[in-house]
Amino acid sequence: MEMIDYQDDGLFNSGHVACGGCVEALSLRVILNTVGKDAVAVVPPSCTAVICGGYPMSSVNIPVFHTTLESGAASASGVKRALMAKGKHDTTVLCIAGDGGTYDIGLQALSSAAERNEDILYICFDNEGYMNTGGQKSSSTPLNAATGSTPGGKDTRKKNLIEILAAHRIPYIATASPSHVNDLAAKVEKAKGIRGMKVIIVLIPCLPGWGVADNAAVKTARMGVESGVFPLFEVEDGVTYTMNTDGKSRPVGDYLSLQKRYRHLTDDGVAAIQSEVDQDWQRLQQRVAVG
Amino acid sequence: MNIAPNIDKPGNSNRLLLSGNHAVSWGAKLARPDVAPVYPITPQTPILERIAEFKRDGELDGELLTPESEHSAMSACIAASLTGGRVFTATSSQGLLLMHELLHYAAGARAAIVMVNVNRTPASPWGFWPDQLDSLAQRDTGWVQLYSETPQESLDSVIQAFRVAESLRIPTMISHDAFYVSHAVEPVEVPSQSLVDGYLPPYEPELRLDTEKGQSFGAPIDQATWNRSRREMAEAMSQVQDKVTEAGQAWGDLTGRSYGPLEHYRTEDAETVIVTMGSMCGTVREAVDALRDQGEAVGLLKVRLFRPLPVADLRSALAGVPRVMVLDRNYSPGMGGILHQELTSALYGLDKAPAVHGLLAGVGGVNVPASKIKQLVADYRDAEPSATSQWVE
Amino acid sequence: MSSQPSPLWTHTPSSVRMTGTWRSASPDYRTLPSPCLGACPVDGRIAVWVRQVKEKDYRGAWLTLADNNPFPAIAGRICHHPCESACNRQYLDETVGICSLERFVGDMALAEGWAFDKPDTERSESVAVIGGGPAGLSAAYQLRRRGYQVSLYESKDQLGGLLRYGIPAYRLEKAILDGEIQRILDLGVDVHLNAEVGDADALKALHDKHDAVYLATGASRSKALPGLDYSQPWVMDSADFLAATNAGEECTLGKRIVVIGGGSAAMDVARTARRLGREVTVLSLEPEDQLPAQRVEVDEAMEEDVTFVTGAMMQSAGANGDGLVLNCIKVNFQAGEKRGVFTIDPIDGSEFTLSADAVIPSIGQDADITRWQGVVADDGPVVGTGSDWQTATPGVFAGGDLASMDRFVTQAIGMGKQAAVEIARYIGSGEDRDTFPELTIVPYKAISSDYYPDVARHVPANTDVAGRLENFNEVQQRLEHTDALAEAERCFSCGTCIFCDNCYLYCPDMAITKLENGYEVKSDYCKGCGLCVAECPTGSVMMYEEG
Repeated sequence: MEMIDYQDDGLFNSGHVACGGCVEALSLRVILNTVGKDAVAVVPPSCTAVICGGYPMSSVNIPVFHTTLESGAASASGVKRALMAKGKHDTTVLCIAGDGGTYDIGLQALSSAAERNEDILYICFDNEGYMNTGGQKSSSTPLNAATGSTPGGKDTRKKNLIEILAAHRIPYIATASPSHVNDLAAKVEKAKGIRGMKVIIVLIPCLPGWGVADNAAVKTARMGVESGVFPLFEVEDGVTYTMNTDGKSRPVGDYLSLQKRYRHLTDDGVAAIQSEVDQDWQRLQQRVAVG
Repeated sequence: MNIAPNIDKPGNSNRLLLSGNHAVSWGAKLARPDVAPVYPITPQTPILERIAEFKRDGELDGELLTPESEHSAMSACIAASLTGGRVFTATSSQGLLLMHELLHYAAGARAAIVMVNVNRTPASPWGFWPDQLDSLAQRDTGWVQLYSETPQESLDSVIQAFRVAESLRIPTMISHDAFYVSHAVEPVEVPSQSLVDGYLPPYEPELRLDTEKGQSFGAPIDQATWNRSRREMAEAMSQVQDKVTEAGQAWGDLTGRSYGPLEHYRTEDAETVIVTMGSMCGTVREAVDALRDQGEAVGLLKVRLFRPLPVADLRSALAGVPRVMVLDRNYSPGMGGILHQELTSALYGLDKAPAVHGLLAGVGGVNVPASKIKQLVADYRDAEPSATSQWVE
Repeated sequence: MSSQPSPLWTHTPSSVRMTGTWRSASPDYRTLPSPCLGACPVDGRIAVWVRQVKEKDYRGAWLTLADNNPFPAIAGRICHHPCESACNRQYLDETVGICSLERFVGDMALAEGWAFDKPDTERSESVAVIGGGPAGLSAAYQLRRRGYQVSLYESKDQLGGLLRYGIPAYRLEKAILDGEIQRILDLGVDVHLNAEVGDADALKALHDKHDAVYLATGASRSKALPGLDYSQPWVMDSADFLAATNAGEECTLGKRIVVIGGGSAAMDVARTARRLGREVTVLSLEPEDQLPAQRVEVDEAMEEDVTFVTGAMMQSAGANGDGLVLNCIKVNFQAGEKRGVFTIDPIDGSEFTLSADAVIPSIGQDADITRWQGVVADDGPVVGTGSDWQTATPGVFAGGDLASMDRFVTQAIGMGKQAAVEIARYIGSGEDRDTFPELTIVPYKAISSDYYPDVARHVPANTDVAGRLENFNEVQQRLEHTDALAEAERCFSCGTCIFCDNCYLYCPDMAITKLENGYEVKSDYCKGCGLCVAECPTGSVMMYEEG
């Protein structure tokens, strides 16, 4: 059995208001403790914003700037540039945003920061919808998933943000999962050592938003990885793709069955998702082979 | 390049032929900003390009950040300011309107940003003409607003604005009119760097995103704390007028060019006082001089500080004046000229209040020559004042 | 109001907020018995010692094993391993090869010459142990470890009992047996060989001489098969056959042998006879899928060309020319509730015959109790005892096959240990009983099996069939070192914390404190989500309702 071995240096405090069992809080714990104290975070409205704050309290022991929903990457750029102007080149600037603030309303600012190759580490906690507002669809919501604004299931597929980012040829893009904590920590550590724009997209099964049991978010994320719905991989300089897990070892049903947002699915619906996942997987493997 | 060899000697300045926009770039450079996030837009673009040249030539140490939108530019401004940086930006019209959300945010965050806005008609329809609606529509966002009449004033105001903004931690906007100021070229006294350095202390806010302290800004708050944040903004706003006065006088002590919230031009014993802002003031001066030459007691009250509105000074300046003509180069549909509304509101209940005529003059950049102003003075000498603004072209 | 900017900046850590009030259930760390422990006749801490193997602490693993069983090399060869039948891993892929791991450790201990520590303090009280088989030796060992003086009385000229005289060498090499016995004797045991305690007076004399007596003479009397004339030269009792062979005596039985019985002893007889060049048929009442012998023994016997005629009984036997004819009939077999209790119903018209030269009945053995009448009482076929293994006479304890129908070697070893504890308590040591009160055995669903990739069980090699019949060398080989480590990795460590830190590191609320040797829940912050429990790979933390 692989042991988890990230070091908790107390960068994340107890007493935050994440739902019990929330793996966004867990991922935050891993990321903050891996990045360390010499860091500033920018957080647009999201569950992370709620988890971090609640004036006058803070759950994180680094400074956080809560910005507007469209502005994550732009604000992080502003922080970084001000630090650079003051000679603090080594301070890590994190932007921690949800998928709404990344795939949707924040995409323009993200694209621009990527094009400028700003020296920021952008973390997207991807819970595949607007979960902090009670669970509506975003462009990250996958095919057939039910949300408050797609009650019959979403008709279209999830936006492939990785390919969009890869087209910017930024130094580092990775996917990560709270079920693979060592991999997550290693990617954060690696990204921290790279100058320029780094983006890590972390799959966050949302307990209320996806209808996952309180104790099952890690397992759900694991099934997501193992079924190939959310493969773990890295893209360097936009062209070099590397897989971080050995193949997909489960049918998507193992992943879908843990979530109420898919409970309306018929066998055909599951098959449609399986087919999409298989095709995407094959396409990803082609990219890995080329890289 | 128009750089004089002795420009860095204390007390020295150098006279350069500059457009209003380039004068702004010079002012910004001399203030030594740490970060300047700027997005291009007509007719602001020369400000950005000149700053970019300063950066290219190694004359600007700070970071020039060129994002994809004014929204991101202002987002970066706020973040950089809260990180403890001195921050400058510039925009116009649509850009300012795109920033609107963040103008509120900046003020609430008490980010000491200095921004120049080139007043331009907002679309639609598309136009590129001098009109102050873009900035006046931001009057409730919590920014200090100064209006500049000339390239020289724009340069001087940018530097003074940092002194005001940073001492009170209130974002400050200087607006000057498209083309009439932005592109008008005139001789401008450019102060030396050492003079500016002596005038403008480094910005070192105690509250900032500091890895040593770990304090955060912007976490969700309760109703009472939000309420308190507005009361504290009100308290700071109440000090702006004095600070603008102090900054303008101190600047005058160093350069011989003093400024205040309001400027009185030949208003002594005036029967008619024309109240206006921006480049219109120059035309009004010409008309006032001509009318005074004809023996007519007409003066100009230039409103330089629009937010906070210097209510007490306006009341004392206009008490006992028989007539006031407000020239508004803007139009708020359904109500009229914004300065007109503001002024009548400021004078409400004043003993010996003047008759106030609100005139929509030059909306959309329509030319208003001195002759037109003289004509208006004549037209409204005996007219009954109306509560609503009048179209006068 | 201050003219300073608003202090809208955070200035308090969130830890002032007590999120523990959200909780309705709480995780709790409890060391729970693993299914293997629950099934183990010696209460072996299997999850613990297998983990020690994982960590390459082989000596530690051996010491843990030896707490309950001084014979890991023996048990690793011949134990009927109910632990493996109970193992949670079978629900993922295949059960962990506990026995082969135990043998791996046991063999290493012998090879390395590891010895038991002498008792910390010697005590003056002495105990007479009567019978040098697995129960007696186990009791002697446990008593010596506690510092009691032990006198061991064995009727034969060597120690080992059934281990020596009943188990063929191809299953248990004599050197292994000798090694593990010697290690016990090295603790200092007063051994009396050829010392039969043949009657009540002799027993009473020992009782007077010692503070307590432990009777563990086994079940040495073979049951007689009705209708079979044991005086015939072609009939030989199975215990005699095995003892003679184990002693190296020549076999005089004819070529074709029918072994009657389906238990382990029958298999031992059959396979021994094959090694002596005989043709062998096993005739059992039980159908093949209900044979009481371990399946592996049956399989290996079949590999060795033993013929099985199951679900049938012999009705009579008689001479037929040079040989014999056995008249048999098929039966319906119905197992009873207890081991050894059953009903049979011959099927009319299913008669058949078997040809043979000799018959070896192997249908079980009885204890010899009558010789000690007046000291001990019987309870059916065995010596009656209380749950503390004490007989009708205070200070006289009994165990093993003499006192139980649970007739497996490791059961006897376990009984020996239990008796030693009870004897110590009787003498007055104040020792506590080894009990696991009211603890639920860790179920498979408590294990986060996602941490264990499918890995096939590592099975030790057997010698090839042709080679086996040439000699009495051991059939089953030892696990290779790397295979042993890989097999240990397959263990879930059910109910035993392996300090993997999953609970600590997966907690989104930093509500688990790491202690020097374990973990603690911070009740101020734990929201009761159960993630620590869900991600525990060993099932050693569970949710409990609060209130």
